[in-house]
Amino acid sequence: MPLMIRVARATVAAAVLALSSAANLAYACPSCASPLEENRQAFVDTTIFLTVVPLMMMGGFIWWLRRKLRARDEMPEIAVPESLLRDAGRFSKGR
Amino acid sequence: MPDDALGRPFGVPVRREPVLPNGVLGMLIFVATEIMFFSGLISAFVIGKSNAVGGWPPPGQPRLPVEETAINTAALLASGLALYFANRAFRKDSPNTKRLLGLAIALGGFFVLFQGAEWVALIGEGLTVTSGQLGGYFYLLVGTHALHVVAGFIILLYTYQKLSHHNLDRFTFWPAQIFWYFVVGVWPILYWQVYL
Repeated sequence: MPLMIRVARATVAAAVLALSSAANLAYACPSCASPLEENRQAFVDTTIFLTVVPLMMMGGFIWWLRRKLRARDEMPEIAVPESLLRDAGRFSKGR
Repeated sequence: MPDDALGRPFGVPVRREPVLPNGVLGMLIFVATEIMFFSGLISAFVIGKSNAVGGWPPPGQPRLPVEETAINTAALLASGLALYFANRAFRKDSPNTKRLLGLAIALGGFFVLFQGAEWVALIGEGLTVTSGQLGGYFYLLVGTHALHVVAGFIILLYTYQKLSHHNLDRFTFWPAQIFWYFVVGVWPILYWQVYL
């Protein structure tokens, strides 16, 4: 790895560490002040829900795509007759 | 020309099917954003409900028609099922495709009309967007879903028209199905949260 890239990475890492040590506590908890237990629980539940849903969607899609790609790679490729490709114009593969 | 192990001549280019057609990928991305949109609305409703003074549903507000909407929910679920079987028939090139797709559209139309009638009755009882938290959340959540049902209904009508003209392909039918399954799938969650 070139020296410049290593120096740049180390600088970024040092900057991130410096920023994280400078951060203070964020008093932005909307449910901490609620007197209702049900309300506090609703905040916790919806936070978990809204965190898990996109992760599940993305994870599920990647898992499904991997499966499809593996299945496709195991299938033999279909040779296209030369006569068909002749009419395919500039979009034909290998031309 | 020499052949390879599969008996294909060397040097001939090969063409592969895409893993995911563009239309399907586009619709999946759109539906993912829609899932997050509805998740946000449902989360807001759950928090609003838990914060209500005097319990939920708020006292003095009209009650939502739970039993009637259960029938409507069954109609929408049956519509999704009919579309699933329509797709199976479409893959087999069966003449039943048109009948099943028509049934899915008819059930979707029934759902929209039934909800319209329900809204008219609720407005008559005094439940409006500005009548309170219940009305505000109800029309926001159920109204947003109703808009999606209408959009899905129009998309299914378009596919039906294409099928009638014998030029419906799977690259058009799949995205339409994905959208309708989303509309059907999100409704039981809304019903459970808003009505029950």
